[in-house]
Amino acid sequence: MYGPLARRSLILVAAILAAGFVLPLCVPVYFLYLANVLMMYAVLAIGLDLLLGWSGQFAFAHIAFFGIGIYGTALFDLRLGLPFVIGMPLAAALAGLIGWIIAIPSTRLRTVYLALATYAFAECAQWAFRTFDRITGGPDGLRIRPANVLGYATGTDPAALPVVAAILCLMLLATLYLMRSRLGRHFAAIRDSEHVAAACGIAVKRTKIAGFVLSAIYAGVAGGMYTLYESFVNPDVLGVAQLVLVLTMVVVGGPGSILGVLLGVVLIGLLPEVLRAAPRGLLVWQEFFYGAILVLAVMFMPRGLWGVIEERLRARPTASRRAPSSTSSASLRSEATQP
Amino acid sequence: MSSLLLMQAVASGIVTGCVYALVALSLVIIYKSTDVVNFAGGELVMLGAYVGLLALTFFTLPYVTMIGLSVVIVFAVGALFERVALNTITGRRYAAHADLVPLVVATVGLGYLLKGIVRVVPYTEEVRRLPPLIAGPPLFFGDVILQRQDLAIVAVTIVVMLALTLFFTFTRAGKALRATSQNPRAAALIGIPVRRMRMAAWGLSSAIAALAGILLAPKLLMTPDMGTVVMLAFAAAIIGGFTSLPGCVIGGIVLGVVQNLVGVLLSPQAIAVTPFFVIMVVLLLRPQGLLGEALAPKKV
Repeated sequence: MYGPLARRSLILVAAILAAGFVLPLCVPVYFLYLANVLMMYAVLAIGLDLLLGWSGQFAFAHIAFFGIGIYGTALFDLRLGLPFVIGMPLAAALAGLIGWIIAIPSTRLRTVYLALATYAFAECAQWAFRTFDRITGGPDGLRIRPANVLGYATGTDPAALPVVAAILCLMLLATLYLMRSRLGRHFAAIRDSEHVAAACGIAVKRTKIAGFVLSAIYAGVAGGMYTLYESFVNPDVLGVAQLVLVLTMVVVGGPGSILGVLLGVVLIGLLPEVLRAAPRGLLVWQEFFYGAILVLAVMFMPRGLWGVIEERLRARPTASRRAPSSTSSASLRSEATQP
Repeated sequence: MSSLLLMQAVASGIVTGCVYALVALSLVIIYKSTDVVNFAGGELVMLGAYVGLLALTFFTLPYVTMIGLSVVIVFAVGALFERVALNTITGRRYAAHADLVPLVVATVGLGYLLKGIVRVVPYTEEVRRLPPLIAGPPLFFGDVILQRQDLAIVAVTIVVMLALTLFFTFTRAGKALRATSQNPRAAALIGIPVRRMRMAAWGLSSAIAALAGILLAPKLLMTPDMGTVVMLAFAAAIIGGFTSLPGCVIGGIVLGVVQNLVGVLLSPQAIAVTPFFVIMVVLLLRPQGLLGEALAPKKV
C-alpha cells in the first residue's frame, strides 16, 4: 500500500453512503430509481475503466459479465434458494472465473483483435441467455424475486437504494485501495508501456489477466445490484447499446480516474432524462447525441472531462507550488512520445 | 432431396458470403492503411443503402445515377470523418498511450451518429426494400435456383477484390497506402503525403461500403439497424486474416456457406451465433487467419 487514502475520497464515499440512506426519506420514487441506476452504472463503469483506463486493454466482454451477474444472482435465488449475500458474491465469482477462462487466451491478442474477440464473446453470451430458455427464460425474460438481504427485503426502489449505495461504497473503497496497491501500479505501468513494464520485472501477462478478472468481478457485482431494484431481466438489456453507453460514460468522464468516471456516469446517465424533459421530442435524437458526444470527447478531451477540470485546477495560481514539477513531467512525456 | 437442399444451401451461402466479403473488403482497406478497425463500417453500408433509396424513390433518379450519387456521398462522409475526427486525434501527441483505442472509440461514435441521423429522417420509419440492380426471373443451374441479383453480387465482389488487389500491389498510390500503414514516419520521410493517404483510404473504404449497401439492401429489409452486418464482415475478414484482400473473399464465402450448413444441419437458431463463434475460434487458435501475415509484435 502506498500511503493512506486521501481525505476527499473518504468524504466522497461517506457522502454516497449517506445519500443512500437519506434520499429514500425525502425524494420521489422516480428519482430513487434513477439513483439506483446511476449507482449500478458507476460500478459497471469503474470495472470497465479498470481494463480500459488502468490496464490499457480494449475489451468489450464487459456486458457479458454483467449478464452473468444478473442471471447468476437471480437464478441462484430462484433455483437454489440462495440468499442475496451468498448468491451475489457467487455470481460475481462466476463472472470472474469465466473472465479468467476468456482472459488466458485473449490477452495474447493485440488491441484490436482483443476488442473483436471479446466483442464476439459478448454476443455469444447474449445468444446463450436468449437460447437456453429452459434455464434463463429465453427472450421472454426472467422475473427476479425481491432479494432478501440479511432479513431486509428489497425489490422496490426506496428499499433497494441503501443496499445499492452500500455496495457501491464497498466497491469504491476496494478500487481506491487497489489503485494504491502494487497491482494497481503494475496496471498503470503496463498501460503506459508494456515493454518498459516487462523490463522492470512486472509479469505483464499475469497482470493483464488479473485486470481482466477483476473487471469481470466488478461487472458481476453490478449485475447483482441490478437484481436489487429491477424485477425483470431479458437478454435485450445485454446488447451492444448498453456496452456503448458504459463506454461513453468512461470515455467522456475520464478514463483512468475514479472521480472522472463517476462524473461521466452522472452526466451520460442523466442525458436521456434531460432529452425527455426538453421540448419537441428530442429523445429520438438520443443515439445521435451519444455518437456525437463520443466522437467529440475523444477528439477534444483525451483524458475526459476530468482531465479538463484537472488542467484548469492546475493552471490556477494557488497550485503554483506544484506547477514546476507537473510541467516538467509533462514536457518529459511529450518528448518521450515524439520521434 | 437432401443433397439438393445442401447444394442450394451452399450456393446461396456463396452469394451471402460475397456480400459479407464486400463489406469485409471495406474494413480491410482501412485496417491495411491506418491500423484502425472501423466499427462504423456497418453504418456506412446502411447509409449507402438509404442514400440510394432516397435518390430512387424521392428524387426518382435512374438506378445508375443513384449508385454514383450514393458512392460519392458516402465517400465524402468517410473522408470527412477521417479528416475532421481521426486526424485531430492522431495529430495530437498526448500522454503515453497514443494508441488505437481513441480512434476505435471514435468509429464506434460515428456508427451511433449515423444510425441516429438516419433514424430521425422521417422517411425511414416504415420498413422498405430497395429494388434490385438486375431484376428478372430467377435462373436455374441444374436444380439450384439463384436470383439474377445474386449473380450481380458475386460478380461485383470479385471485380472489386481483383481491382483492389491490383491497386495495392502495382500502383504507386496503393503502395503508398501500404507504406503509410507499415510505418507512417518513414513513409512521410520519403515524401508520401500520409494524411492525404489516410483520408483516401477512408474514402475508398466508405465508397465500397456504399456499393455493398446498394447490393445488399434488396436482399434484406432496410432498417437503421442493418449495420449489424458488420459483425459478419468482421468474421469474414478475421477468417481471411484481416490484411489479405483475397482472404476476405474466401473468408466471406466460407462463413456464408458454414452459416447455411449450420442452419440446415444443426438448427436455425444457431445461425445467429455462428459468426461470433467463428471469430473467437479463429482468433484464439490461428489469429493470423487463413491468408494473413503473421502477427508481428507492435513496433515501439
